[in-house]
Order: sequence, then structure tokens, then C-alpha cells
Amino acid sequence: MIPPGALDPRRWPLAIRVPLIVAVLVAGLALATGQAVLSRLARDQERHLSELASAFLDGLATAVQPAAARADVWEAFDALDRARTRYGALRPMLSAVLLPDGTVLASAEPRSAPSGTRLPSVIAAQADTAAAAGRPVLDADAATAVLARDLAEGDVPVGRIVAQADIGPLLAERRAVVRTLVLVNGAFALVFAAAGGLLVRHLLAPADLVRRRLTEAARGGRPVPVDETVGIGPEHAALLAAWNQAAAASAEREAMAARLAKEERHAQVGRLAAAMAHEVNNPLGGLITAVDTLSDHGDDPAVRAEALGLLRRGLGDIRNVVRAGLVTWRGTPGTTALAAQDFEDLRLLVRHEVARRGLTLDWQNDLPDQIAVDRTLARQVALNLLLNAAAASPPQGTLRFRAGKLDGGGAVVEVTDAGPGLPPAVEVLLVACDGPPPEDGGLGLWTAVRLARSLGGRIVRLPSDTGTRLVAELPTVSAPMEAIHAL
Amino acid sequence: MPVRFGLTPVFLDSDLALLRDLGGHLEAALGFPVQLVKRRTYQEIVALLLAGQLDAAWICGFPYVRHADRLSLLAVPLHRGRPLYQSYLISDATLGASTIDDLRGHSHAFSDPDSNSGFLVTRWLLAARHERPEGFFNRPFFAYGHRNVLRAVGAGLAESGSVDGYVWETVADREPALTSGTKVIGRSDWHGFPPICCLSENRDGPVARGLAKALTEMAESVSGRRVLKTLQLDGFVPGEPSLYGGIARMAAAVGAPT
Repeated sequence: MIPPGALDPRRWPLAIRVPLIVAVLVAGLALATGQAVLSRLARDQERHLSELASAFLDGLATAVQPAAARADVWEAFDALDRARTRYGALRPMLSAVLLPDGTVLASAEPRSAPSGTRLPSVIAAQADTAAAAGRPVLDADAATAVLARDLAEGDVPVGRIVAQADIGPLLAERRAVVRTLVLVNGAFALVFAAAGGLLVRHLLAPADLVRRRLTEAARGGRPVPVDETVGIGPEHAALLAAWNQAAAASAEREAMAARLAKEERHAQVGRLAAAMAHEVNNPLGGLITAVDTLSDHGDDPAVRAEALGLLRRGLGDIRNVVRAGLVTWRGTPGTTALAAQDFEDLRLLVRHEVARRGLTLDWQNDLPDQIAVDRTLARQVALNLLLNAAAASPPQGTLRFRAGKLDGGGAVVEVTDAGPGLPPAVEVLLVACDGPPPEDGGLGLWTAVRLARSLGGRIVRLPSDTGTRLVAELPTVSAPMEAIHAL
Repeated sequence: MPVRFGLTPVFLDSDLALLRDLGGHLEAALGFPVQLVKRRTYQEIVALLLAGQLDAAWICGFPYVRHADRLSLLAVPLHRGRPLYQSYLISDATLGASTIDDLRGHSHAFSDPDSNSGFLVTRWLLAARHERPEGFFNRPFFAYGHRNVLRAVGAGLAESGSVDGYVWETVADREPALTSGTKVIGRSDWHGFPPICCLSENRDGPVARGLAKALTEMAESVSGRRVLKTLQLDGFVPGEPSLYGGIARMAAAVGAPT
């Protein structure tokens, strides 16, 4: 089945269209020149025939005029009969001398045009025209030419010479010329079309080579340089050189992309290490405080027990962070539920930082026990928010912490600082889906946002009279596996 | 002054080689230059002869008998051993005619109004039927030459013709294509062969005698025999006026002046 539009010549390949155009042009030129040749040939033949006819009629008129004047049958016949052999080039088929009344005085072919009869009406009419025009009347259908000359002595008509010549050879010559023109011009058209086709293919070969390379590249292949020496002329040289430059640039981009990918992988490893170090560093302050407390007040059983518990939970957090790292690489989710005590530990963990900065901690933990939220990730979210808030608040400022149950299940953590508010570049981190960690600060918030998102929740900023008020919503329908990707 | 010898189409006067040989033979025999004089019609030659413009002429028996009071015979050709010939009535071979009566209403070519075989005989035949040529035939015309009559009938210009039997036989032998389209449908009685004549007043002159001798002795020379062979004649004899009695009677019968 022929594809739609395949018959539209505008969609045919140049390798076909150009030879066809060349053939059509050559055929058109041949037609025009052929017409000119035939027209000239016809004019020459008619002129030649007219000259022959004039000579024939001149000679015959001289010979037959006395016979016509005397109505001498024999003399008229004798002159016509002799003229027939003397004017062979004219190929007279019939020649006759007519009397003024139109009857035949004598003809060279008495059996077909006997004396005393009239010529066929067609020939007589053509003879009238020829005598009036003074030139032969051609009848291509009958392949004849009729010529006539009126004979007169003074003003007195004495008769008319009428002859019918065979112009079959002239027409055959024209047909032969037509055949020759058709054959020769047809051959020329074919030769030129073939040459045009070969030339176009030759000219298009470099462009076709580039087209094939482009097609291969479009199908996912690597752009392959071409041999620039196959080009013809400056246009092809420029085309091939441009393609090779494009191929070289593409290869260069691929190499650069590979290098960038490698560097990106290194950067990711660095970020992971930084995040791990950050998460491990967070509880270290509290643990050092607990060690200091044990060192100073280890004799007090209550203090020692509290410090040891703090140490145990802090180390447990570190263990969990390490495990989270392992999970990140091994793909195993956490399973421990969140409890109110988990956030209470945070109060001890940040106490040293709060005291160091001279801040007041407004703490309210209403979280019920056993919330089906990953406790490690939730504690990391809360701890990051608390440390960020402490860092952002000026001395003597108030740091407020609220924890409670999220409507619909889960936990909600709200941290409000006394700082100047989130810079726009940092606030963008709250809504950015995927992005690299900030280069100049905000790593804690970036980590908290990604951890909350990995739990299926979010962190939003709510309006506040003082500082920045951030709320982390951590629903129970978390998907811990996403933590892998969050980091 | 050359000897002026008139010729008429009583023989094949269109054969230029024959004329050259004839002139050469006469010049050799006479020892004088000979001028052969040709005219289109018998009448012109006879008029020249009667006017003394010619020393002798080969004319037809009909003008001889018409001017027998002023003309004398110099020689008479021998054809097939006799100084006699016939007139042939011929027709187009495709016409299907067999007698002169079948030619009624058809075109006819005569040779010359002063020709015995080419006009007088047929006119005499028609007169016997109380007919005249212009009434019996359709558009009769004169071709002024026996050979022309053969051409006219052979080409279809005329459907019938009156012709010298000797000429028909000679042409049939030399140019059979010219007679192949004709059919002899009637032969006349034997008449005296067209003679060579001179004015009676010159008959005893040296030129006349020399011509008579050259003609009657033609068979004795090589050049003469070549001429005779071409003419398909046996020779020439002095001849007697009585040979033309039949012609004279026919002329008288048709009312022609004699």
C-alpha cells in the first residue's frame, strides 16, 4: 500500500526530483527546438516546392499556351507528357491544361482525366485557390499539392494549367525528422536525467552522510565524526566541518557530564558524611555535659542515674544515627515507636547550649506514649529545629518548644525562636522538593525538612509575634524507606 | 548552296541518329552539303517544295497525287520487297473494338490532314458510310506524326487512331512499349509507299538526278545499308505514278482536290 502523500512530488527525494526536472526541462527544450526545426523545415520545403512549382508552371506555360490558344489537344498533351519526365523532382501525379470553360483540353494522364471532362471538384477548388494565391495548395491528408497557373493572351484567358504533385516524400521527410528528433531528444533527456541523478547523488552524498550520522545520533548513538575530504566545494566543507565540530562538542559535553557525575557522587558522599557527622555531633554536647555531671556529682546516686540514663539514650541516638546510615546504605527501615521521654531527653541535650547562650527554654511536652512514628527520625527533626532555634535566638531570648499529638495520628512539634526570622534563601528549603544542601548555612533545617518529608510529613512556618515559628507535622503513615532517599 | 531535302513524318523523323546517317549518306553520294529540312506538317513541306524552297522532299502519296501535275517521283522505298504499304486503323487495346463501326463516338487521332494512311483512308472509309470524321468520332484531332498517333492511343489521349502501317510495324519492332497498348483493328488496301518527289521542272536537273541515284543506289554502300536497316526498308526504286492510283481514287471519292 502506497503511504499517504507518497505521490506528492514535493515529498519525493531530490535524487528523483532533480533528474525528473532535468528530463522535463530537456524535453521542453527539445520540444521547442523541435517545433522550430519542423517549422523551418516545413517553410523550406514549401518554399522549395513553390520554386519547383513556379519553374514547372513557367516552362509548361510557355509550351502549352499556343496549344491552349488553339485548343490543340495533341500539342497540349505532348507538352504535358514531356514535362512530366523533365520535372521529376516535382513528382507530378496529374497535370492538365484546362480550357476557359473548365473542361480538360488535355492531360498527361488521359485515362484519369480525359479530354472534354472536368477535374474532380476538390482538385478544381484547390486549383482556384492556388491560381489566385500564386502558390501551391498543400493537402497533407492526401499528401498532395495542387498548383495552377492561368493562361491568357493579353486580357483574354485561354486556359489554365493545373497540376497535382505528390508531396508524400516531403511529408515522409518531416516524419523522419520528427522521429529523429524524438529519438535523439529522448535519448538526450534520458542521458541528462541519468547524469543529473548521478550528479545529484554525488552532490548529496556528503549531506546524506551527515543525515545518517544525525539519525544515528538521534537514536541514541554517539555523534560520529565524518571524513571531511568527501565534501565537494566550500558548502560541503563547511557542513562537514560544522558536523565534526558538533560531534566534538557533544563528545566533550559527555566527558564533562561524566566528570560532573563522578564529582556529584563524591559530593553526595561528602554530604552524607557531613550529615552523619552533624547528627552524631548533636547529642555529643549533652553527653559531654552528662560526663561532666558524673565527674562532678557522680557520688549522688540520683544524679548519677540521670546522667547515666542520659548517656545511654544519647549513645543510643548515636547508635541509631549510625544505624540510620547503615539503613541508608543497606535499605532497612527503623521500627522503634516515639514516646514522650524521647523528647524529654532533648531538653537535657540542649540545656547546655541554652545555658551557654543565656536563653530561656519554654518547654511543653504533651506527647502521649507510643506514637507510631520513627523515634530516631522524629528526635532528629526536633533536635535540629531546637539547635537551629537556639543558634538563631539572641542572648536573653526565649526558646519555646511544644510537642503533642497530631490530628489524624502522629506527632506535631513546634519550635519558636527569638531571632530575626528566616532568611529567604533558608525559607526556600521548606518547600524545595529536591535540592542540594545549602552551601552557606541551613544544613540542620535542610536535614530536618528531608527527614520530616521521609516520614510523610512536612515542616511549615506559621506566623509569630517574635522570631520564627516552625511546625513539624509527623504523621503515623510514614514510610521509613524514604529516609534512604531523603539523605 | 546546299541541297535542301525536305522530310515529313512519313517515316521516323524523330530519330536524330537516323537523320544524321541519312544526311551523311546523301552528302557522300552527291558530293554537296545536304540540308535536311523538317516541318511540323506535311502541308508546310509540300508548300516549300512547290515554292521551290526545297530540291526534293519525302512526302506522302496523298499530296503527291494532289500535286501530281507539278511533282515528279525521284524514288519510292521498298518495304518488304514492294513499294507498297497499308494504313492501319488502331484502337486502345482495352477498348474492345474490332471494326471501324465499333469506334463510333470514341475519340480519334489522325496523323495529318495531308496523310494518306493517317487521314485519307479513314476518311474514305467513313465517306463510304456517309460519315464525316468530326461526326463519327468524338473530338478527333491531328497529332501530326504517325508516332504521335501511337503515343496518343497508347497513353489514352485518343481511343483510336489512323496510322501508317509501315510505321506501326517498325515501331512495334523498335519500341514495342509504344504499340503494346494499341490494337490493329483494320488494314487498308496496299497503296504506293510515300515517295521522294521534286518539282517536275527540276526532275532532269543534276541535283534531282543525283538524289535519285543516291537513293536508288543506297543499298550499295555501307552507310546506305545502315540507313536502310534503321528504316527497315529494302531500298529505293524509281517508281511509277500508277502506284498511287488507289490514293487518287480515294481522294476523288472524298472530294479532296487533286
